Amino acid sequence: MSEDAKKNIAGALTARPNSDDQKLSPLPSPAPAVPPKKVIIKSADMIPDMQKEAVDIAVAAFEKYNVEKDVAEQIKKEFDKRHGPTWHCIVGRNFGSYVTHETNHFVYFYLDQKAVLLFKSG
Amino acid sequence: MEGAQEELERRSKFLKSLIQKKKTIEQQEQHDHLQHNNVRVRACDMPLPLQNRAFRCARDLLDSMPSKKLDSKRLALTLKKEFDTSYGPAWHCIVGTSFGSYVTHSFGGFVYFSIDKVYVLLFKTAVEPLDHS
Repeated sequence: MSEDAKKNIAGALTARPNSDDQKLSPLPSPAPAVPPKKVIIKSADMIPDMQKEAVDIAVAAFEKYNVEKDVAEQIKKEFDKRHGPTWHCIVGRNFGSYVTHETNHFVYFYLDQKAVLLFKSG
Repeated sequence: MEGAQEELERRSKFLKSLIQKKKTIEQQEQHDHLQHNNVRVRACDMPLPLQNRAFRCARDLLDSMPSKKLDSKRLALTLKKEFDTSYGPAWHCIVGTSFGSYVTHSFGGFVYFSIDKVYVLLFKTAVEPLDHS
């Protein structure tokens, strides 16, 4: 009786290494993905479709350019083209602003740490 | 006839030298003014009186801010309102320590300057009448 019990315990012990192997095997397979940029619309007087368009164009511009002025230029010119002149764009980490804009043509949002101000006037 | 010609030339030279002296004095005064107020013009398309108005307004407000902490939005608002009131709408103002921009402005309505460690962009756009159709 007691000898049989010992054998059972030994069997249980041998099972553990297998489970450890199973745990280890999935570790190397998943590759870390680049997280998407965090978007926060701070203030908007703009139809949702146009807001999304502004964000999409900004995301593309940030991927293409490193200098804030170039990002601003890309966004402004794209909107002048798509929605008619005259648009203005400000991009940066630290700025305050006060502007006059046309009705339904203003958006202020954050892409990670960078703020983007886009509005139409004139 | 020759005497009259010489007289005209003499007067013309005198007037030109007067104009040049005036310009030199004005430039020197402007330079002294900027130096004193720690202002540096980075880009500009604006008459001198308007520039000086912007610099003085910014200087006064920055000096009045407690603990020297920058209130970008307040400075932007103050400048925009002053220029809208004095020179007609519509003016736009951006104030900060780190930003890039791309804008289209009216002729003679653009200045980008630094004062202390803050940058100021002030520009004007044409106002179109509201469409009531």
